[in-house]
Amino acid sequence: MDTIIKGAVIYVFLLLIFRLSGKRTMYDVTVFDFVLLLIIAETTQQALLGDDFSLTNGLLLIITLIILDIIISLLKQKFKPIEKMVDGGPLIIMDKGQLLRDRMRKERIDEVDILESARDLHGLQRLDQIKYAILEKNGKITIIPEEKAS
Amino acid sequence: MRKHNGELEIDEDLKMERRTWTVQRVSWVILILIVIAALLGFTGRGGVKGINKLTKSTASQAMEVEYDRFLRDEVEGEMKITLHNLKSANPTLFFSKEFYDKVRVEEIVPEPEHTEISPDGITYTFRATKPEFIILFYTKPLHIGPLQITAKGPDNEAVTMSQFVYP
Repeated sequence: MDTIIKGAVIYVFLLLIFRLSGKRTMYDVTVFDFVLLLIIAETTQQALLGDDFSLTNGLLLIITLIILDIIISLLKQKFKPIEKMVDGGPLIIMDKGQLLRDRMRKERIDEVDILESARDLHGLQRLDQIKYAILEKNGKITIIPEEKAS
Repeated sequence: MRKHNGELEIDEDLKMERRTWTVQRVSWVILILIVIAALLGFTGRGGVKGINKLTKSTASQAMEVEYDRFLRDEVEGEMKITLHNLKSANPTLFFSKEFYDKVRVEEIVPEPEHTEISPDGITYTFRATKPEFIILFYTKPLHIGPLQITAKGPDNEAVTMSQFVYP
């Protein structure tokens, strides 16, 4: 019983904390984010299992987490507002070549991040080659290049 | 799907994003407050004296109890009991029923000579060699939530400890 409640609490807590930390927190995995991820994983594991390393406990925990995941995905599918609440949505951060600085500041993104995505996805070299930049709900920046004048 | 500038199909919800930014910023402040509270001792294990570490004495000052106000489930804590001006070489310590119901005693230093459990509580009898006698209890709480234990010293004066056990 204890394991199921602990699993549910940790699941909801992690969902909430990553949503509250913002879109970019876990996407761009730099060395530091990697360390953070490892520490969080280790802490979570200890809090979840406690000192009960039995197979029953482990299996119960996995089942609990999977069921929670299924429930959340069903809820998201059925109710759109829940999906938006849990996952967030896309956000335009560069509109027709214009940087939307207020939105970028709120999401803790700068030109360097946009340029990085532009290079990575389209091999672009300058900001003026970008028409739209969109911060997707998973924290990734997608780029739509300016159409080339023919 | 809504079209931005008549060309970009995107499900952007600016109202929700604005609300999210506000909630995020408020939550960051709350997270910082939680950390500050933890540093001060409100979540147990250390912190500023007087917030987590408490000292209570009986009316005659014959017994002094030092304990943690905030405990954590299944995490060992320490309680220090000091008896002053002992008249007997076999002082007794009594704890109310909650002490054996909701707490597991891991170790008592020095070990008691005799232990007796009754429906109202548990009584330990020690052998003291000096009129000043210190006893350490290493305990683990077994239940989450408020915990109230009454301790009685050799002269039957009581001290009540109100604690809280975090999950």
